[in-house]
Amino acid sequence: MLNIFYGDMPQAIYNPVIFFKNTYTDEWIVDNLSRAMIQDVDRSTVLGPRVIDSPVLGGISPVELSGGVKTLIAIYKMPELVFNASACGDNCAKWLLKIGSLQNVTINLRHLMDFGNEPFKIKILNANQIVHNMTELLPIAGMIVR
Amino acid sequence: MKGHYRIIIANAKVRYDFTIRRNITIIKGNSATGKTTLVEMIREYYEAGSGSGITLKADRPCRVLAGRDWKILLSAIHQTIIFIDEENAFLPTNEFAESVRQSDNYYVIISREGLPNLPYSTEEIYGIRESGKYGSLKQVYNEFYHIYGKPNAARTIKAENIIVEDSNSGFEFFKELPQKGNYPVISAGGKSNIFRMLMNMDPRNTLVIADGAAFGPEMDRIMKLIQQRPEITLYLPESFEWLILESGILSDKNLDAIMETPERFIESSQFFSWERFFSNLLITLTKDTFLKYSKHRLNKAYLQKDISAKIINQITGIEF
Repeated sequence: MLNIFYGDMPQAIYNPVIFFKNTYTDEWIVDNLSRAMIQDVDRSTVLGPRVIDSPVLGGISPVELSGGVKTLIAIYKMPELVFNASACGDNCAKWLLKIGSLQNVTINLRHLMDFGNEPFKIKILNANQIVHNMTELLPIAGMIVR
Repeated sequence: MKGHYRIIIANAKVRYDFTIRRNITIIKGNSATGKTTLVEMIREYYEAGSGSGITLKADRPCRVLAGRDWKILLSAIHQTIIFIDEENAFLPTNEFAESVRQSDNYYVIISREGLPNLPYSTEEIYGIRESGKYGSLKQVYNEFYHIYGKPNAARTIKAENIIVEDSNSGFEFFKELPQKGNYPVISAGGKSNIFRMLMNMDPRNTLVIADGAAFGPEMDRIMKLIQQRPEITLYLPESFEWLILESGILSDKNLDAIMETPERFIESSQFFSWERFFSNLLITLTKDTFLKYSKHRLNKAYLQKDISAKIINQITGIEF
């Protein structure tokens, strides 16, 4: 399940981009879910573990992926750690839900990410409550973050 | 620093062209829209100049602030447009807000966090509009005559319930407005209380009046609430004092020019946000007149029918 702690969380990794740069492996990039996230969020195609084809930047290395997709991959590959997922835009929300459906992960959010109109299952750790849509999420999360 | 600045920065792959108008500009939005690329290009041009292969056109120096030594760096930077990327943990701190308040720079900040310590305008929150290799800034929140939530020229909003951000003169004006219908006007006692008040209110037509010049940190959660409760409408003039200055009840030879392009007159090191400038201006212009303005208590002259009518006539699209 996807667990979220809203607001300041000192034990969370505030800068997932630096963490990714110093920890990622070739296997992280060629994983099928990583490939799909890179294709969807960055509109870029993984050609190999060290080369990605970006429509704007041309051939890039994994370090040049967007901060959002690097954070998604770090969350997916290191589920035992908590990352600041406010490095992710709303176009990453469906992938956070997908990762949460595959494994138990906790993320830290410092803003109100929009998880869309479809039903979902998220546990808000601050309130120890499970919410199923944005109508249930907003009154709880909106009291904690802006 | 005063004025507006157009920034054009390009390399062989991407080009950004945008204008900033106030001391604080926020860039947010989806991942992979080029926000970090923009900051990287600013950094590389600052370090290597034209030898970086980047071209930059701007009437002020542009540079990046980052890292643990941000405060030492910032103390030596003046009259500069400073870009800050989202991974900097100092952004939400009081210490950073205090440094911005005292400085004569403009700041372009990439952050999805609300940053409640910074009084930025709802009009200066942008996303990056991409069109292939070209990037520009687009406003995140669409307004229609400062009205958010129902941007429709054909519809007039009829207030049945008003929440005013302020608890002093602005609140007294809307509460005692002679033209007002028989409905409650409540003070929120500050912008950060508005979300909670709306959550606890009856779902009827509620109009929220707040100072747009500093309401930026609240916009995301309030607009998400409005998506769920469309009976709520936001009216965000720059400030209550701006509304008075716009109404035409005061005559001053410089006033039209100031209201037309405030950024040409507002020194960022003196005024943390535009609302403070407009308060200061109104107090100065009305000194020793029957309209003498105080922010703390409303001068009853503003409630005279002809004067209050001129003020609320500035509010297009809302029926009081």
